[in-house]
Amino acid sequence: MTPSASMTSTAGSAAITTPSAAEPAFLERHDLDALIGALQAGDRRVIGPTVRDGAVILDEITTAAELPAGVRETQAPGRYRLEEGRKGRTFDFTVGPMSPKRWTFPARVPIGTARREAAGTTFTAATPDAPPLAFLGVRACELAALDVQDRVLLRGPVADQDYAARRRSAIVVAIECTTAASTCFCASMGTGPEVRDGADLVLTETQAGFVVRVGSDRGTRLLEGLPVRPATEAERDEASVGVAEARSAVRANVGVATTGLPVRLEAALDHSRWAEVAERCLTCGNCTLVCPTCFCTSVEQVSDLDGVESTTQRAWDSCFSAGFAAVAGGTFRSRPQDRYRQWLTHKFSTWVEQFGTFGCVGCGRCVTWCPVGIDVREELAVIAPPPRPSLPILSIPAPVPADGAWLRSARILGSHRETSDTVTLTMAWIDAPHPRPGQFVMVGLPSFPAAPISVSRVHDTSIELTIRAAGPATAALTALPTGSEIGLRGPLGRGWPVDRMYGRDVVIVAGGIGLAPLRPLIDTIVDDRLQFGAVRIFLGARTPRDRLFTSELSAWTEAGLLVDETVDRAGADWLGRVGVVTHLFDHSERIPEGTIAAVCGPERMMEATADVLRSRGLTDDRILITLERHMDCGVGLCGHCQLGRFFVCRDGPVFSLAELGDTFGREGR
Amino acid sequence: MSRPRLGVVKFASCDGCQLTLLDLEDELLAITDRVDVVEFPEATSARSKGPYDLLLVEGSVSTPEQAEEIVELRRRSAKLVTIGACATAGGIQALRNVAHHDSWRAAVYPEPAWIESLSTATPIAEHVTVDAELRGCPIAPGQLVEFLTATLVGRRPQLPDEAVCLECKRAGRVCVVVASGEPCLGPVTRTGCGALCPAFARGCYACFGPRESANVAGLRRGLVADGMTAAEVDERFAGFTAMAPAFAATASKAAAAYREGTVAEPTTDRVEVDDARR
Repeated sequence: MTPSASMTSTAGSAAITTPSAAEPAFLERHDLDALIGALQAGDRRVIGPTVRDGAVILDEITTAAELPAGVRETQAPGRYRLEEGRKGRTFDFTVGPMSPKRWTFPARVPIGTARREAAGTTFTAATPDAPPLAFLGVRACELAALDVQDRVLLRGPVADQDYAARRRSAIVVAIECTTAASTCFCASMGTGPEVRDGADLVLTETQAGFVVRVGSDRGTRLLEGLPVRPATEAERDEASVGVAEARSAVRANVGVATTGLPVRLEAALDHSRWAEVAERCLTCGNCTLVCPTCFCTSVEQVSDLDGVESTTQRAWDSCFSAGFAAVAGGTFRSRPQDRYRQWLTHKFSTWVEQFGTFGCVGCGRCVTWCPVGIDVREELAVIAPPPRPSLPILSIPAPVPADGAWLRSARILGSHRETSDTVTLTMAWIDAPHPRPGQFVMVGLPSFPAAPISVSRVHDTSIELTIRAAGPATAALTALPTGSEIGLRGPLGRGWPVDRMYGRDVVIVAGGIGLAPLRPLIDTIVDDRLQFGAVRIFLGARTPRDRLFTSELSAWTEAGLLVDETVDRAGADWLGRVGVVTHLFDHSERIPEGTIAAVCGPERMMEATADVLRSRGLTDDRILITLERHMDCGVGLCGHCQLGRFFVCRDGPVFSLAELGDTFGREGR
Repeated sequence: MSRPRLGVVKFASCDGCQLTLLDLEDELLAITDRVDVVEFPEATSARSKGPYDLLLVEGSVSTPEQAEEIVELRRRSAKLVTIGACATAGGIQALRNVAHHDSWRAAVYPEPAWIESLSTATPIAEHVTVDAELRGCPIAPGQLVEFLTATLVGRRPQLPDEAVCLECKRAGRVCVVVASGEPCLGPVTRTGCGALCPAFARGCYACFGPRESANVAGLRRGLVADGMTAAEVDERFAGFTAMAPAFAATASKAAAAYREGTVAEPTTDRVEVDDARR
């Protein structure tokens, strides 16, 4: 490439320097007509963007006035709307429904004619009718698409003559994007928004005009005839900033995780999502016909009535029609799910093997122009998700130090018998912070040592304590009538790390009275349901009569929590499951990675549950349990509840198994 | 080689599909050169009771008399081809299949007792075997020429059963659903019209009837998500091909809404009021 530095002058303006090919030039906006004029030389038709039928389409243009100045668009899955763009801008939009494919690979072209006459039958191949074209305003993703079609139609073992004729004669003037639609994902496909190669000239729009770069010898010659000057540093910077803004906008969009995608997709041919997407997919084929790389066609016959001459023409077809895969006996892809799978796996998997590139350039047309808004990015994320980065260790915040205050008097507002040995007391709450899920209080009666009792529900001015009569103190507590006063101290200990559970799937496993400290956690989930992922609750009880909070189970289910119950022993009147709580896992689906489990019950039950959870892939940092130990002081001073390096009352009672390590489940600790 | 004997007959219909044949100005003479038009009351007073090599049948079966006649015509035809929405799906008049036939008949005719009609209007294929169907209201001239040409040449006619969308996109039209929010039944409708309505910024109203794999439920959900009420979508299906099997369930919901009082069923009282005004 020879750099040119010739000086020319035009009437009425200062001397214009034609910059060297290596240095960007600047084209004033009002000189766009000069560019179009230069492209038109030699009867070349200029194909550029223009507004029609509520969209920026491509068509032949003859003046810059036909360009969509001051127009931009919003795009979303299944939706495209034009709106007012930045004032003074000519190319403030992104890609519309059409691409240069419409001209390089038209919807219908004749491929040959057959003529039957007395002398014999003659077959004549069609001659490509390819008038010279210039494309103005081609985007980076569209250049990439032209390259993809070149690989398919030009660089394979057989070149398509019609495509070759159209493609070779075409001049390409690209424009770099300085804006992005929500459906754009060029950055993740590695095709844009910057223009690298494949264009003769590359324009980048600024407020005053266009920074122009040369991409080929033909571009150099074209530039020589244009009224341009070297771009200033400020203009070049403005152009770079514009493209960088487009890049950040595209990167902020959902993309496609391309690394390893072909293999992941090939391994997902039996995914249940194919059938699910087919419920939504209309198999209308719009995605394939707006796609700038789809190249599938079918032949059509046009015969005359006498049967003398018939022309065979090639027309765009789509793998979404049953007829596309039809043979005499039927069609190989009768189900819509087969057709969607064919398309997606071709674009993102088998295409790579065939042509060394993805069949997708990230232009987003198939997303926007799908009448029901099916988004390939979303489908790929479900069907062939990228391997997840390893999850950060779940750390539980340190407990808030409790004050060492002595018992305060609190009145029993209500007493409700749950089972033969278990009662829930509603207590007026003392002047202290509200207990958080999993915290406990010390409950004292005159003459009895205070007992640690988990809070089973928190109201504005009261709390509930669910107490099983296991010894003399608890037996006395459960027997108290409404109106009695008892001593309360708390809240104490470290509860469930609710903040770390937001956005996660949660499994809750309770055995017997172990449901009590879990109920405030369940209450939080029900109140704030959308903040959590899938939530499953597995409940175990000794007998049907020992089941707790039975009147609330349906409310939990209605809130979208999956509740499953079992009892150890039952009579003939129990229709539910019988067996230990861990058996409930045999009936449940797999536990997704990242799920957090909260477990409370007898220690043996928690050990067995931990083993099952580990076997389902949960790591120890995500298995949370709440421990019972002898507690006298509740604030880590009396030493009774020591477990390894922890005082259960102060550092727990909620721990992750990762924190406890070997101490959990070890005989005699 | 003797020229094939062509007949064109009609049942309950408007004659528009037959006229499509007469409107083939560029091809009509060539066609009449190649076939012997022996029965075509819209075009010639020469009549023939058959036999026919090819019989084009327009209209749906709407009276007991027609139900007998079509069986007899089938007997006299080597190839029987139905043309248009009435003959292939029942037509607009098939809406009576899910309405109260008697009350409508009483509303329309001053002396309903003189009217002998079936309570349903049904496509020809429900009565006799049909060799091919040309869809549409009216049929597309291009498809008629293609069918006649292929038949004369002896090849399989190209009557694709894919969605309207494909031809719409080949023609370079901007999707009216996506760019304008216009309800369009193109994704579930059989191609053949050349995507005529979207060319005039209108949504397709399915006059060609269902395509293969018509996902009516999926389109219905999509249109509701775009802001239409479910009732409006159902009503859009309650047109020329309402009783085509793939559309019937949806279109019948519109008919049920009609019966349930969203729109009143006609009564003889209303007719009397109208008479009084006259």
